[in-house]
Amino acid sequence: MNGTQKATKSDNPFLPEPARIVRTYPLTEDVNFFQIRIADMEKALGFSYQTGQFAMMTVLGAGEAPFSISSTPSRPGLLEFCIRKAGTVTNALFNLKENDLVGLRGPYGTGFPVDKMQGKDIIIVMGGLGAAPLRSVLLYCLDNRDQFGRVILLHGAKRPAEMLFLEEQLELKGRDDLECHLTVDSDDTGQWTEGTGVVTTLFPKLEGIDPENTFGLVCGPPIMYKFVLQEFLKLDIPKDQILMTLERRMKCGVGKCGHCAIDYIYTCLDGPVFSYWDVIHMRELI
Amino acid sequence: MKIVKMKRENLSSFLEAISREAELWAPVKKGVDTHAFQVVKDFSEIDLNYTRTILPPRKILVPSRFNMFQATKTEYTPDFSHVSNKIIFGIHPCDISGLLTMDKFYSYAIEDPYYLESRKKAMILGHSCWPDEHCLCKSTNTHIVEEGYDLFFTDLKDFYLVWIGSTQGDDLIRLVPDLFEGEIADQDIQRFMQWREDRDKAYSSEINFVAMADLMELRYNDPVWAKLGEACLACGSCTNVCPTCNCYNVEDRPVLGAEHSNISRCWDACTLENYSGVAGGENFREKRADRLKLWYTHKLQAYISKYGKPACVGCGRCIATCPVDINIKTVSDSLDGANPDAFWNRLSQEVTK
Amino acid sequence: MSDNNKLKIGIYELTGCAGDALLILDCEMELLDIFNAVDIQSFLMAKSDNIDGDLDVALVEGSVSTEREIEELKDIRKRSSIVVAFGLCATVGGIQARFSEEEWTQNLKEVYGDTEMTHTKAVHSKPIDAYINVDFYLPGCPVGKDQFLNFFTRVVQGAPPESYPVPVCVTCKYNENDCLLNKGIPCLGPLTADGCGSVCPNHDVPCYGCWGPAEGANLTSEYHLLQEKGFDIEAIKKRMSNYSGSKFQEFFEQFKNKESK
Ligand SMILES: Cc1cc2nc3c(=O)[nH]c(=O)nc-3n(C[C@H](O)[C@H](O)[C@H](O)COP(=O)(O)OP(=O)(O)OC[C@H]3O[C@@H](n4cnc5c(N)ncnc54)[C@H](O)[C@@H]3O)c2cc1C
Ligand code: SF4
Ligand code: SF4
Ligand code: SF4
Ligand code: SF4
Ligand code: FES
Repeated sequence: MNGTQKATKSDNPFLPEPARIVRTYPLTEDVNFFQIRIADMEKALGFSYQTGQFAMMTVLGAGEAPFSISSTPSRPGLLEFCIRKAGTVTNALFNLKENDLVGLRGPYGTGFPVDKMQGKDIIIVMGGLGAAPLRSVLLYCLDNRDQFGRVILLHGAKRPAEMLFLEEQLELKGRDDLECHLTVDSDDTGQWTEGTGVVTTLFPKLEGIDPENTFGLVCGPPIMYKFVLQEFLKLDIPKDQILMTLERRMKCGVGKCGHCAIDYIYTCLDGPVFSYWDVIHMRELI
Repeated sequence: MKIVKMKRENLSSFLEAISREAELWAPVKKGVDTHAFQVVKDFSEIDLNYTRTILPPRKILVPSRFNMFQATKTEYTPDFSHVSNKIIFGIHPCDISGLLTMDKFYSYAIEDPYYLESRKKAMILGHSCWPDEHCLCKSTNTHIVEEGYDLFFTDLKDFYLVWIGSTQGDDLIRLVPDLFEGEIADQDIQRFMQWREDRDKAYSSEINFVAMADLMELRYNDPVWAKLGEACLACGSCTNVCPTCNCYNVEDRPVLGAEHSNISRCWDACTLENYSGVAGGENFREKRADRLKLWYTHKLQAYISKYGKPACVGCGRCIATCPVDINIKTVSDSLDGANPDAFWNRLSQEVTK
Repeated sequence: MSDNNKLKIGIYELTGCAGDALLILDCEMELLDIFNAVDIQSFLMAKSDNIDGDLDVALVEGSVSTEREIEELKDIRKRSSIVVAFGLCATVGGIQARFSEEEWTQNLKEVYGDTEMTHTKAVHSKPIDAYINVDFYLPGCPVGKDQFLNFFTRVVQGAPPESYPVPVCVTCKYNENDCLLNKGIPCLGPLTADGCGSVCPNHDVPCYGCWGPAEGANLTSEYHLLQEKGFDIEAIKKRMSNYSGSKFQEFFEQFKNKESK
């Protein structure tokens, strides 16, 4: 009565599903965009997720790593990721081509509470790779436009060439139901027509914010949090309506390997979306 | 719960009978005065006169390294070859409590089949023990267990009282019913009560666990952490020997000359240097002190808020193991305001000299 | 054998005992698979038709001990995408690198006197990363077979393994050894990179550090611990510096300064 094969695939949360890279192209020098479809059509359509959640991706022979889902659940079937070349797994992933197979499991973690956000104004502040999880919620808001109040996007990058989804967002600027402000620390092209300065310089542009009715979302490089959080607090947005996604080392995504532990929570189960209130009483969070 | 009696001389016949049912694991002497759970064929190797094994019995359920699945690009095939029918004989109450804690942990939110399948197929045959100077299970209230075993043997010299904790345990007894007696005489009961009283008195070490969760919070920035960090060798031993540690790492190990990889899972320890490193060379807990804080938060605070009990089950392994005296006792004592005589404390005086 | 899809590998020996290169040949069961999986361009110990062209992976064994080796090493770096420090000597400099620059100059004088070296000039032995960028370290004296095979198969698949260094104590605990350090025996397990499978403590012999220093090794603590256990400073130093090459020298300098004060 040996247990081999005992636990079937469906109840084994660690088993990836083969998934195909449908499309991949560079967004910036070291960040690529990936469109991925789970090979089994039924499972591809059954993969339901929330904005802000992440998936574990396996590249055979290299390992597994967590990535935020960049697409929106309002457009099922294809999953989109935006991934920076950072080490073992991501290097191997960048060597793969369209039609190659990876492994995928998930979705994991808490997503953005879009139910609670309904009817509210949404300010999304992104920098660097923070665009990965926040693009998901941005597209979700736009796809369900009538469910939200004002939708505001503030996006900062070092240089124009480093701004993720630049074309997509320039196009979005044309919409009159989105307030979209882009900025770069410095323009080395001479052709940049949007703002210059760090992302917090965009805050003065925001007029008539009704803090009780506003959700502030932020994700970006570590130093960005501190400054953006201050701006949100200055606007008087309630602490539990300020949301951010955080990153830790992750080996399982399901609360078992321990690597993502912060104090007594696991980022993969209790996060990666946290509120500013969580941050205040979690000693190690940021 | 049903209790039966077994004469001491019947033990080996009993083991003989049950070892035909499944692989028998029991404590065996290893080194001069240390022990380890091992598969036993020859019952004379079993040494029930032990206090604690070096590794806790979780190693039998989730080995330090095993393959979770085989992977090709198109197929992921689960590998449960570490799971088999096992009987673990001679487990002490603290370790049974450790397994109960692991049961909760591995079933919380998303179930881990690699532990749970293994656990389902393991029968737990507990055995009574006598505390040494490191045992803290009375403080953690895990010196007596009411659940988590199939059978529990209390050693009363010439006989055992055997608690039957499950129908599977009952089945084992039914294999050789003649070895057991249903009648327990009044003097046997008195012997047991006396044994319990004596044992309760034998504990020489204690921790005020009730206060620990708050003290952990209140003393989170206490200078003692820097002293501990100064001395910690980051060897991971305390973590590897603790019955309630669960962390692991995963590696993709391609097979030379084949098309597949073994996806291998290996114990990890939060006290090790690289535990919290992430891409970009950032390490969230580069300092040894920060890693120790995480470990002690886990033991003294985290589980209380999640499961209503500290993670420590008082087995004393960290005390017996840490070369620099950083352990649940000295750390708790210093959080409680004491100034323990420990290497780490002496070292901090030495270095600031 | 020139298959373009196969990785081009070169195996080079600088100053060392060639034990690590020998280890490859010692992988008897796997040897054919190894030779099949890659295109070995240069391997002095195993073949004679060596080519010094561009490489995907260069395994470099031994420390850098002569001027000619410095040039050779720089050339290897130029030709290779991945350079691996292969074995203890390449990783930390090995036994020959445990002397300070002064001690080394003196030793050289004692042994060779004023003999002029015509072939190449000797230099103070150093690990290879003193001269070039190293992509991957495989320590060990010699490198462990499992360690090598694991690395090798991963490289063949296109991704060197994520380095996750741990000290010897980790495996020692897996093997349930009675801790020697706790018994007052000067074991260097906590300071030493794992990879050997804790063979010495498995046989009740204390680790003497032959895998080289573990990342983040806490020398100060172990040093004082051994002192407390009754070992004198010289004995500890000797023990700790045997296999740590140039890596622990700074640490001992600090004590030298303390003592002279
Ligand atoms: C919830 C979540 C969502 C994420 N979403 C995204 C996303 O959308 N896009 C994206 O690009 N990334 C995302 N990340 C980050 C991504 O998971 C990492 O970049 C990825 O794991 C890198 O894996 P790798 O194997 O390529 O790199 P690794 O080889 O693991 O590491 C890369 C670098 O990190 C360093 N490093 C690795 N391990 C250690 C260690 N233990 N100690 C010290 N340094 C170490 C190495 O030196 C190396 O330079 C997310 C992470 C989390 C937790
Ligand atoms: S913390 Fe120490 S005493 Fe408590 S369970 Fe773990 S090893 Fe045992
Ligand atoms: S606390 Fe002790 S046993 Fe644990 S890692 Fe540090 S030195 Fe090792
Ligand atoms: S015997 Fe040596 S290697 Fe093993 S745990 Fe003790 S100090 Fe570490
Ligand atoms: S000396 Fe240490 S590193 Fe070397 S083989 Fe022995 S235990 Fe391993
Ligand atoms: S990633 Fe494993 S516990 Fe969170």
